[in-house]
This record gives sequence, structure tokens and C-alpha cells, in this order.
Amino acid sequence: MDVLPHSNCENCDQFNTDGLKKLGIDIDDFDFVVALAGNPNTGKSTVFNALTGLRQHTGNWPGKTVTRAEGAFQYNDKKYKLVDLPGTYSLLSTSEDEEIARNFILFGKPNVTVIVVDANRLERNLNLVLQILEITNKAVLCLNLMDEAKRNKIDINVRSLARDLGIPVVPTSARYKEGIPELIQTINDLADGKIICKPHKIKNIPKDIEEAVELLSVRVKKEFPNIPNSRWIAFRLLEGDAQIIEALESGVFL
Amino acid sequence: MDKITIKNIIALAEELRWKIGDDFHDNLAEGIYADAAEIVEDAIISKSNKTARLDNKIDRIVTSRVWGFPIMFFILGIVLWLTIQGANYPSAMLSDFLLGDIRPVLKSLASGVGMPWWLSGFLINGVYLAVAWVIAVMLPPMAIFFPLFTLLEDFGYLPRVAFNLDYLFKKSGAHGKQALTMSMGFGCNAAGVVATRIIDSPRERLIAIITNNFSLCNGRWPTQILLATIFIGAVVPASMSGMVSLAAVFGIAVLGIFFMFFVSWALSKTLLKGEVSTFNLELPPYRPPNFWQTIYTSIIDRTLIVLWRAIVFAAPAGAAIWLISNLNIGDQSIAAWIIQYLDGFGFIIGLNGVILLAYIVAIPANEIVIPTILMLTVLVTGMQAGEGAGVMFELDSVNDTAAILKAGGWTVLTAINVMLFSLLHNPCSTTIYTIYKETKSKKWTLIATILPIIMGLVVTFVVAQIWRIIAN
Amino acid sequence: MLIFVVIVIDYLLFMMMYSYNPVYSLLIFIVSSMIIYLFFRPNKGLTWLLLNSYKVDEKIVIEDILKQLYHNSNNNITTNFLVNALGYKDAVIISGIDKMIDSDLVYFDNDFFKLTEEGFDYAVKIVRVHRLWERYLAEKTGFDKAEWHGIAERKEHETNEDEAMELATQLGNPIFDPHGDPIPTSTGKIAEIDSIPLSGLAIGEVGKIINIDDNPEIIYKQILAENIHIGSQIKILENNSTRVTFYSEGEEFRLAPIVAGNIKVFILKNQEEIQDKSIVRLTALNPGETAIVEGISKESRGDSRRRLLDLGFVRGAKVSIDLVNPFGEPTGYYIKGTTIALRDDQALKILIKKD
Repeated sequence: MDVLPHSNCENCDQFNTDGLKKLGIDIDDFDFVVALAGNPNTGKSTVFNALTGLRQHTGNWPGKTVTRAEGAFQYNDKKYKLVDLPGTYSLLSTSEDEEIARNFILFGKPNVTVIVVDANRLERNLNLVLQILEITNKAVLCLNLMDEAKRNKIDINVRSLARDLGIPVVPTSARYKEGIPELIQTINDLADGKIICKPHKIKNIPKDIEEAVELLSVRVKKEFPNIPNSRWIAFRLLEGDAQIIEALESGVFL
Repeated sequence: MDKITIKNIIALAEELRWKIGDDFHDNLAEGIYADAAEIVEDAIISKSNKTARLDNKIDRIVTSRVWGFPIMFFILGIVLWLTIQGANYPSAMLSDFLLGDIRPVLKSLASGVGMPWWLSGFLINGVYLAVAWVIAVMLPPMAIFFPLFTLLEDFGYLPRVAFNLDYLFKKSGAHGKQALTMSMGFGCNAAGVVATRIIDSPRERLIAIITNNFSLCNGRWPTQILLATIFIGAVVPASMSGMVSLAAVFGIAVLGIFFMFFVSWALSKTLLKGEVSTFNLELPPYRPPNFWQTIYTSIIDRTLIVLWRAIVFAAPAGAAIWLISNLNIGDQSIAAWIIQYLDGFGFIIGLNGVILLAYIVAIPANEIVIPTILMLTVLVTGMQAGEGAGVMFELDSVNDTAAILKAGGWTVLTAINVMLFSLLHNPCSTTIYTIYKETKSKKWTLIATILPIIMGLVVTFVVAQIWRIIAN
Repeated sequence: MLIFVVIVIDYLLFMMMYSYNPVYSLLIFIVSSMIIYLFFRPNKGLTWLLLNSYKVDEKIVIEDILKQLYHNSNNNITTNFLVNALGYKDAVIISGIDKMIDSDLVYFDNDFFKLTEEGFDYAVKIVRVHRLWERYLAEKTGFDKAEWHGIAERKEHETNEDEAMELATQLGNPIFDPHGDPIPTSTGKIAEIDSIPLSGLAIGEVGKIINIDDNPEIIYKQILAENIHIGSQIKILENNSTRVTFYSEGEEFRLAPIVAGNIKVFILKNQEEIQDKSIVRLTALNPGETAIVEGISKESRGDSRRRLLDLGFVRGAKVSIDLVNPFGEPTGYYIKGTTIALRDDQALKILIKKD
């Protein structure tokens, strides 16, 4: 197996190689929480291992990580706790995996959410990405498996993708540790507030539904001015999500 | 915050929901994909029309009508053969080391510090022996089986097996992926139960969990092979005995698969028919596995976790085995009393009290059933073998083992019924605990535990009666 | 109690030990398993029958009578009719009716029973609970279609108003049950549907199936076996006294008029609403062909439907066959860059338009 050249980022001034420490499962106190989300089969666990130095099992299967796996890394004096969420196709259904992922992003309020996607199956993966972007506005897209994409002669305009999604996009080949330093740098910048995202909001919705969502989300926004995801809550209310209704009633969002 | 405003919001949501009708979810899902398509349109510069679909070529072969099944059986056969054969040598080494080298040291240490016989017996012959035994017999096969299986999994072959076999499983109300959890069960049922996480449909997952025990696990293969060699191989001419005993073991494994299908079907039609059932199976691209990492992680994630659980349960069982053999009530040990009590029932189902007691106390691991049976048989017959009351043992010589069992009153019927009962009895305690962890339900754990025992009792009973009717 | 059982078993074992004979013991076993089977057979076992014949709850009788009156408001209902329809004994029906007259739920009109306003409201409530349960069973459980009615029939008597409200909220206050019947709201509002039986359509007319009656069960099961789906468009090809033939989603269906009468159709006159004839089910796709997904049939519900949407089977998605199975199913479909295997009963509910 040929190892692709390591990224240049490790050598550039921007990236402080000495500042990186993989902490494995040593998660005592941390400054930021990072959630790792993504479809099954996107190499999410490989990214997790590359970031934390852990060796969690990576598999070619959906549903490998049912319970949350956690790890940590330190970069420039800041400690990051990394939470690996179950791989799911969507956050709209009722399966146990999806509930865990959905609740963590919504209620766990991670400082940064890393969304791992397979560059070869971008369209399919964007389904989940767009849903996550309705929930959180601090996210980075980890465009993984770039090595395979290169082999398959798929060429992606990263800039245009970042513009359309409104979040930073980092191409990686986690297997060869390629792009990981850039990813860490971006996570760091997001957590520090150096990068501000303007995430894409779902557009192609029939008019009557859009109106209903708007009406509802304005009301939610008025009641909870500090939440970034009034539209998502409106979606869930229209779906009749009992958990969200309960959360509203108990005031979890305050 | 104002409770009334929140109530109003929820009421508004309900009103709007009524207005926009049932199609909200569909519209949202379609909308998201439409957005995704637009973004991709923008972002993808070039796209090869026909990507190198090497995957597709491999798929055409491994799912083909002609080659699909032979490839599958060949691979499973190789994995099982490597596991059973390959584990012999390291198992013997471990056993020599833990039992042959370490145990005497412990013993002399104990007598050195003046430990009373009962305490050193309890600790060394009871607790330590059971733990060492479980490590010696469980670790090598699992350390071979799991990495092999995980390599196949990471390569992407296993979803194709699920694809090939789904039709059979669908007929019995189960999911094609159960083929994999079942195969995993051939290695270890506890690991098979954990592996059912890949089945994301609640009903089919429960079916896979409850029926996993019908896969003959690593702990039971040696029992089957031993008994088939001693009793079944012996009824035919020596030239054929190898083949016949192999066929008998194979027959038991196939019978297990048959029970798995049957129970799956029955569960899906009765107890589980109300559970939600969905189906989807993604056939992911083939990816070369990260060889060393896979080996490392499968040993860490699967082998050691299961082994640890087994050890935790083996220690108290070892203590129990030693205690019942050494504590006396009146003029007999507790074990002898229980055996006497169970003998009648044991006889009716073609077994005996020793076997039943062994299955009760050896619940932590099927691996220690035969050593326990041998020890208890020696205990009640008063033979000269082994190392004394409560000390499990096994003999290198098949003939000596046969002699002990025959002295214990074993016949061909006993052997056949033990083989059947070894297939059809409660899962080991490690598996039971794992089932509870996975289902978080006492009800399903209880059903998964009781169901195979009932089946085992019924099957051995019927076989015993028919055997005796024909034999007379 | 437990000790008693142990003693009995012990005694039996003792007896068997001393007078053991494999033939007898096998016989005892067979007989006792047969007894256990007779007693505990689900839904038909003796225990079940005994419990049910003694437990003729007055509330259930009254509610069943109310439903009969509600559903047959055009007929003239007599005691005989009720006895035949409900299968209770005469005396039970009569005492039920007496109670209902006392509490002003029904009245006599020329020897026929009629619902009072109060009775009508009560009946609507029962119907609401029944249909909510059917919807619940369809969306949130894995029970087979053919079982929904029976379960709802039991549950409707056990559910109080608060529980009904909760059920409705949980389901998002649905308007229709899975058979296409309207669910009355808590205030008794019922959505109007304008439908005629399939057997009443003329040749060449196009309609959309909006309701499949689950009663009587024999006919319902026949319809289920044909894979006819609610929400499908149909076009009548032949309609006479012996059979009704229609085209739908790429297939031709042939039914006896009595069966077709249990399928209710909304006639489509508006040309725009009429589907392209080239819309077929995904099962009709052949290897080598490509198609565009048109949508998922209303027959796919709950989690299964959501899962299909998540996997990319949405309107406009390109689909082709990637892998055929040695057993014929499931089939691997190539969709949005990945191969997804679906079983035929799922593929039947996905509509496509071939390229």
C-alpha cells in the first residue's frame, strides 16, 4: 500500500505540531466538546482514531458504534473531548442510533460538530449534513476518503461546497492521516470563534409547509431567543416529536 | 418561562400539523435531498461516468448463483477449521503453563505460609483452577476466530453473505444479517449477541439475540467432538469411525441451524409479532482492511472483553464446584446428594444426575462442562483418577476418558443426549449477561435463557423414550 | 404453592422411577402436551374461550351495538339483525338494549332501533378510538395488516378519553386510518370523503384508491393478497357481472365484483392529476434499465417508510439494478452512489418511471 505524502500543513507556521497531543481516553477536564457525526461507512471511526490516537474498531458496517465512544486530544493548551456518535443516514427517524446522535447534538450542545462524509457519495451524505446544519451552527465538514475519490476520478470543488454549505470544508484521507492537522486547526478556530459559520438552511420545501415552519419557528424564537435551531424545533414539532415537546415543557432549552 | 406560551406553541404546532396533512415527513425528506442535489451539482467538477466498479465485478462473483454459496461455505469452513485446529496447540501450551507450572507454585506458596487445606483448596483448586481453565480453553480460539471474522467484516464480504442468504431468513421472519450473527455465534454466543447491533430492526434483532444460542459455540465444539469420537465412532467399524463421528458433530451443528430457523419463525409469529420490523441492507464498497490494526482492535474489543466477562463468572463457579464436592452433609458431599436427587429425572431424559449437576454449576462456560462431569463421575463412583474432590480435570487419552464415562454408566444414548443437550440448553452466564446488557429487558433475557432449556428437555426426553422403545 | 408443585412433581417422578416404561412416559408426554396446547392456544385455546364466554362485559355489548347502529344508519335494525351481526346471545343483546334505552342512547322508531344524539356521539367516540388504534398499529408496531382490525376491536373498549387524546397526540392527530377511513376528531368532526366502490366505475374511468374495507375479513385478505395499495391510481379496463379488471402501476388486476365493491375509489376527472401510464412499481425494473423514483406508496408506513426516504428513495432519484440475488430477492438497487438491497415487498411500494 502506498502511503500518500503527508500534508504540508504539518510543516507550515499556522499549524503547531508540538501543540498537538493525543490524549486517548484520558478525558478529565476539557475546554471544548467536539461531536463526530456521519453516515455509516464514511471512515468516521478512522477519523476518531486519527484525532485521539485511540484504536477504536473501525468497520465497514452501519451500526458499529451503538453506544457513544469518547476520546480526547489537546491542541495549543486546549483540551478537546471528542464524542463519536453512531453512524446514521438521517436524524429524522426513530431508531435508537438516531435518537442518540440527535439528542447529543441538540441537548449535549457540543462546541463543534465534525461531520464526516464520504467524498465518493457526497449527495447521499449531504442528507445528514443538511439536517445537522439545521441544529447547530458550529460545524465543519470532513470530506473523507479523498484517496478513493481520486482513484474514482471524482473532483470536488471544496470552495464551492464550503460556500454552499456555509461551513468550513476540510478534505481528508484519515487512513493515511492526510488532512487531519487541517481538521484540528479548523476545529480549534471554530471553538475559539475565529470562524463563524452561516450554515445552509433547507430550501426546497413546499410553500405551505415552509409557511407553517416559519410561523412556528418565529414563535419558538420569541420564547427562546438564545437558541440557534428554532427551525429544527419547528420541524420536530410538526413531526410530533414527543421528546422535543417534553424538552420545551421542561425548559431544557433555556 | 411562561408555561402558557409554551402550551400555546404546542397547540399551534398541532393545528398546523392538521393543516399541512400527512405528507410533512415525505416533503421534508424530499426537500433535503433536493437541496443536496443542487449543492452537489455545484460542487462536483468532474465525475467519471463509469467509476472503476471493481466492486461490482467482485459482487457478481460472490453473489452469483453458481459461486455464491460454495465461496461462502468454503470461507466459513476455513475460518472454523483454523479456529478449532489452530487453537489446539496454544491451548495446550497455556494449559501446561497455567495448570502445570503456575498451580504447583501457588500450592507450595500456600503451604509455605501455612494456609489451611480448605482455604488453599477453595482458592487454588476451586477459584484459580476454573479461571485458568477458562483462559486456557477460551482465549486461543477467540484470538483466532475474531480477527479472521473481523478481517472479513472490514473487507466488506460479510454484507454480501447477508445479501445471499436473506431470502432464507426472511422466510423465517428474520433478517439476512442474522446469518452473520449466527456465524459469529459459532465462535462465541456472547460475541454473536453483541454483533446483533448491526441489525437495526427491533423485531429481527430480538430474534437474532434469542436464537444465537443455537449456534454451537467454541466451548461446545470440543465436547461434541470428544463424545462423537468415543461413543458414535465406536459403533461403526474402525475404518469409518473418523468419518462417522465427524458427520455426527456436523449433524448437531446443522440441527442447531434448523432450530435457529424454526425458533426464529415461531417467535416472529407469536411473541414478537408486534415489534417493529424494517429492512435495509447497504452493500458497502470493498475496502482493504488495515490488517494489523484490525487484529489489534478485534483482540481488544472482542476477545478480551468476552474473556473478561467469562473470568468474572468462572471464579465463583469454580468456588461453587469445589465447595459442593468438599462440603459434607451427613455422610455425603453436597454434590453427591444433589446427584442422587437428580438421577431419577436425569434417567428419564436419557442423562444422569452428574451431567445435570455439571450443567448447573458449569453455567459460566461450556468449556468446563466435561472437566466437571469427569470430576463428579470420579467422585460418585469412587474411581482412582483426577486429583480429588472438587478438582476438575481432563485426560489426554480419549480411551481413559471413555473408561471413566462408561464407569459412570454412560451408553450411546447418554452420549447422544449430552450432545443434544449441549446444543439445547441455557446460554452460558456470560451470554445471558450480554443478552441483558443488549436488550435491557428481563423478559427477553429470561425467554432467551428458558426457551432452549425447555427445548433441550423435550428433545432429550423424546429421544430417550424412542431409543428405549426401539432398543427393547 | 411452589412447594406444593415441587412435591407433586417429585411424587410423579418417584412413581415413574419405580414403574418406568418408555411407552407410557411418551404417551403421558404426548397427552399432556396436547392438553397444554388445547388450553393455551393463542386466541383459540380453551382458557381463552372460557375467559371470553363468561366475560360478556355489558360495556362491550353496548359499545358494539352502538357501532352497528352507527355503521348501518340506513338500514332498519332489529334485535335479530344485532344477534346475527354481533354473535351475542339474544338475552345479552336484549338486556343491553334495555340499558341503552334507560340511558337515552337509543330509541324505538317503528320497531327499529335508532341512535339518539347522545348515542350518536358515543358511537363516534368508539369509532374514533378504533381508527386511532388502527393507525397506531400501522405506524408504530410491526403487526400484520390483517391483525389491525381485531386488535383495535379489543382496544377500543379499554381506552378512555384521556388515553385516546394521548394516542391522537402521539400520532400527530391523524385524519385518516390506514384503510383510508376518516378518524373523527375529539369534537366529532369527520373529514368528508367522496368515493364510490371500484365496481361502480365505468370502463375507461380513472380513479385513485382511497379506502380498502377491512370487513369482512375474508374479502379483505383476498385484496391484501393481490398487493393492491391505497393511494394507487387505477384505470378500469373491464367491468361486468363476473369480473372487474383494472390497470394500476404497470400491472393488471382482476377481481370479482363483490371483492371490488370493498375498494372505494375517488374518480379523477382533472387531466393533470392523472398519472403517466409509464409509472410502474420498482419490482418491474429489469437489470440494465434505469428509472426515476416517483414516490413511495401510502402503503409503506411508519419506520419502514422513513427508512426508505433516508436511504434516498425520494422523488427524482435515479435508480437501477446493481445486483440480482441467487434466490430472486432481495435485489441490490444502485441509488445515489450506493447499493441498497430491498426485499420485494418494499420494492412493490416504490413507484418509478422508467427512462
